[in-house]
Amino acid sequence: MGNFGQLMDGFAVALTAHHLMIMVVGVLLGLVVGVLPGLGAPNGVSLLLPLTFTMDPISAIILLTSMYWGALFGGSTTSILFNIPGEPSSVATTFDGYPLAKQGQAARALTLAFTSAGIGALTGVLVITLLSGWVANFALRFGAAEYFAVYFMAFASFIGMSGGSPFKTLVSMMLGFAAATVGIDTISGESRLTFEFDELIGGISFLIAVIGLFGLGELLLTMEEGLKFEGVKAKLDIRVIARTVAEMPRYWATLIRSALIGCWMGITPGGPTAASFMSYALGRRFSRRGRFFGKGEPEGIVAPETADHSAGSCALLPMLALGIPGSATAAVMMGGLMIWGLSPGPMLFSTRPDFVWGLIASMYMGNLIAVVLVLATVPLFAFILRAPFTVVGPLITVVCVIGAYTVANHMFDVWLALGFGIVGYVFKKLDYPLAPFVLAMVLGDKAEDAFRQAMLTSDGSPAIFFSNGLVATMMGLGLLLLCLPAISLLLKGRAATPKDGAAPAPEGRSA
Amino acid sequence: MPKHALTALALCLGLAVPSVALAEWKPNRPVEFVAAAGPGGGTDTFARVVQSALSKNELLTTPIIVSNKAGGSGAETFIYAKSNKGDPYKLYFGTQDAYVLPLANKLSYSLKDLTPIAAMVFDPFMLWVNPKTSGIEDVKGFIAKAKEAPGQLKLGGAKAKEADETLMTLIEHATGVDLTYIPYKSGSEAAIQVAGGHITANVNNPSESVEQWKAGVQKPLCVFENERLADTTVIADGLSWHDIPTCKEAGIAVDSFAQPRTIWAAADLPPEALAYYTDLFTKAAAAPEFKAYQQRGAQIPRLLTGDAFKDFIKKHEASYAEIYKRNGWLRAEQ
Amino acid sequence: MDISRSTMDIAAACATAAVGAVVCYGATLNGIAWGDSGPEPGYFPFYVGGLIILGSAGTIVQAWRRRAAGHDRPGADAGADSFLDGERLRTILAFFLPIVAMVAVSAWLGLYVGMALYIFYALRIAAGFRTLTAALAALAVVAVNFVIFEKLFMVPLLKGPILEAFGIY
Repeated sequence: MGNFGQLMDGFAVALTAHHLMIMVVGVLLGLVVGVLPGLGAPNGVSLLLPLTFTMDPISAIILLTSMYWGALFGGSTTSILFNIPGEPSSVATTFDGYPLAKQGQAARALTLAFTSAGIGALTGVLVITLLSGWVANFALRFGAAEYFAVYFMAFASFIGMSGGSPFKTLVSMMLGFAAATVGIDTISGESRLTFEFDELIGGISFLIAVIGLFGLGELLLTMEEGLKFEGVKAKLDIRVIARTVAEMPRYWATLIRSALIGCWMGITPGGPTAASFMSYALGRRFSRRGRFFGKGEPEGIVAPETADHSAGSCALLPMLALGIPGSATAAVMMGGLMIWGLSPGPMLFSTRPDFVWGLIASMYMGNLIAVVLVLATVPLFAFILRAPFTVVGPLITVVCVIGAYTVANHMFDVWLALGFGIVGYVFKKLDYPLAPFVLAMVLGDKAEDAFRQAMLTSDGSPAIFFSNGLVATMMGLGLLLLCLPAISLLLKGRAATPKDGAAPAPEGRSA
Repeated sequence: MPKHALTALALCLGLAVPSVALAEWKPNRPVEFVAAAGPGGGTDTFARVVQSALSKNELLTTPIIVSNKAGGSGAETFIYAKSNKGDPYKLYFGTQDAYVLPLANKLSYSLKDLTPIAAMVFDPFMLWVNPKTSGIEDVKGFIAKAKEAPGQLKLGGAKAKEADETLMTLIEHATGVDLTYIPYKSGSEAAIQVAGGHITANVNNPSESVEQWKAGVQKPLCVFENERLADTTVIADGLSWHDIPTCKEAGIAVDSFAQPRTIWAAADLPPEALAYYTDLFTKAAAAPEFKAYQQRGAQIPRLLTGDAFKDFIKKHEASYAEIYKRNGWLRAEQ
Repeated sequence: MDISRSTMDIAAACATAAVGAVVCYGATLNGIAWGDSGPEPGYFPFYVGGLIILGSAGTIVQAWRRRAAGHDRPGADAGADSFLDGERLRTILAFFLPIVAMVAVSAWLGLYVGMALYIFYALRIAAGFRTLTAALAALAVVAVNFVIFEKLFMVPLLKGPILEAFGIY
């Protein structure tokens, strides 16, 4: 394969001392950005952009992508330690990462996350290396209907996953859709659900919701339980890291499944956030240990992390090959490419192979460096957890408040985050699942846009969703995933003899 | 507050010795560029290119911070400007959206809340198709195809009821065909949909479709200008930008429809700051970084400042208002 | 001052139902029909609002039934059935109200002043550290944030009149 020859040339470009140093600096900066919930990878990368104006494009993109890897890793750290996702794509990591950390296994949880993230990222880069020529053409086959089918699959895999009250799941998901609707509608140009408030015309930021629901909501719960993080007295043991790395092969099935989902969602327009949710949901359904998900199950960390990072890497490919960014961060980098005088698009691979393959080679190196650096921070973070909550709590609060402000430099957003904090607290105590809310908020407006674009294209005929093999297959798979829980419920319902017809899910009650 | 005292002092000095005071205002703290588009969008790239031209050539030595306020199709930026009246350290980057957005939407800002500084360059619009999937090779073919099946030809563009859709209604009006507009989040997204054969055509700035042209999955049919573009460097198919006919000569009688790239400050900008920035951006427009940006995007180099820019805004707003009225897009209570 | 779980369940569901009603109303402003070429802008939001109301109604009914079935039974575990008691409410408010105060102060005097006062309060009053320790910690938090945001990443946080008077922008 010609690709490997070019990749070797790429390594020759990427593996200079200068570039390795840039990678280390980028990853470290990215870690800081990823840990702070408001900044996040897209902001961080756009903040670094001015620095790159005087660099040559290869060094510049290596700096930016390294920062991206660092931010992706950093985002998982706060998810696990404080239940605050530093990045939208690490929301799913909180589901099992935080419980595991609460059981006193913070170091193990972090190591699991970082190692599987590294494996996911490397898989993603490998896919890019092998399929770079093919992906551009494949991605061109995605019209509005295909976009919708991708989102539909993500939803379908998630629906029916949560065990609690179906009414509460419904309310949570629909509230997410409603929140995503606020702002100006792409298709009609009208403002929706803004009620003529200026503050709402830009829509409700997903990050604000997450900072409130997860970060502040969890702080309130912890406060109520009596001022302590449970189980943080775990002893700091470096050997935990080595032992956890050694247990990774045990999760091979989850790793492979998640990496595949991640690559798929990265190449198609699904993106890392949807990938991590879908991988978590499918992991819960198909893994033998699925019923332990949500209670600190290692596979519940491995699944979203692997998918998140493989999607994050793969998302760079449509950006380079088509000029269509697969994630918000990729959009910023694309802006950078244009300022450096490069035009992302199908011709970039032939006009600037040194750039493209240097970048791809740097992705291997950058991720390896990121894994090593981030594992080195595990003891540090485990140490932070040993501080008393009366000190850590206010610090986290300040981080949340600043984070909410930096999302768009609006004080209004901070108030909104406080509001979401109360909602998060009440919902958690009343066993409303938050995951459907988050997923609906991330994908809701995109799915609606794609649906309506498809309807416009087909003059209102829904046949467009089954008009070719690709979209029909995806819709079919989605429908299958959608019906799966209903079918298994039906089978189960027939087997068991229900005492109380109205209560199909008793385990959610006792909490 | 000392800031106001300083301003007052500066104004007094300005009255006494105007020329000296006008020359003396200089930013002494970071300047914020607020782009009315998300990262990677056209306006964002514009703001960042200006930023790089200014800082690389040391035209502006204080730090420049670029931030994005893309909400409400960019309206968020100008609403933000309204709340920063008289602040000379915040500049707002946009297109015609600054004065066109309030035409169709009920927004809490109006043109009165902004001080126009400069239009640095104009982006021409072109009509694009994918010749392979649509079988359309020129404007005649396009019109014929559109007449064949009214309402069946799908034309994509960025957002709804903004420049792209406006231009489509102009095409319809000029040729009497009936097209269906499909809005996407960005112009490049629409371009990819055309390249993939999912829709037939799109209207777009050259920069967002040029790579698809080079790859042979898009082709420019005509440019919505009164004269052909100047650049004669061959881009693809042995053609240069200059070889693309104007839409008028090819059979779509639409006048020049270029998109200005504009820079604004909030209302009540001190006059000495306005003078400083006018001078600064005039210099920036001549910087090599900016020239390269212009050439890449096949843009029309036309710098407007001061009264010329104000006149342009008045005319441009009026022409949009007229089109909006015809399309029934003007907001209700006008 | 005890709030039982089922009361809270019903209260929360009423609140979500109200949100649903607002969403439905907002959607009607955009048109809720299914036109010739697909749905109008308010179509999906309208049904989303409707489903919120439906789900909320379901939750209310469930909570009501549970209440009728279990609440009057003697010997039921009061702790498990309680959402919040007076003491816990006080703990929560003691934690949450200062945060609200911090945000209010920040909106007025800038984020740095807000966070300094809040950290000082939290460490001095809530956690009982010595005045000097708390003040130093507050200063350290401000300094670290200032360096990270203003210097390293050049993200200007809200300064407010006090810092501007000192010439820090």
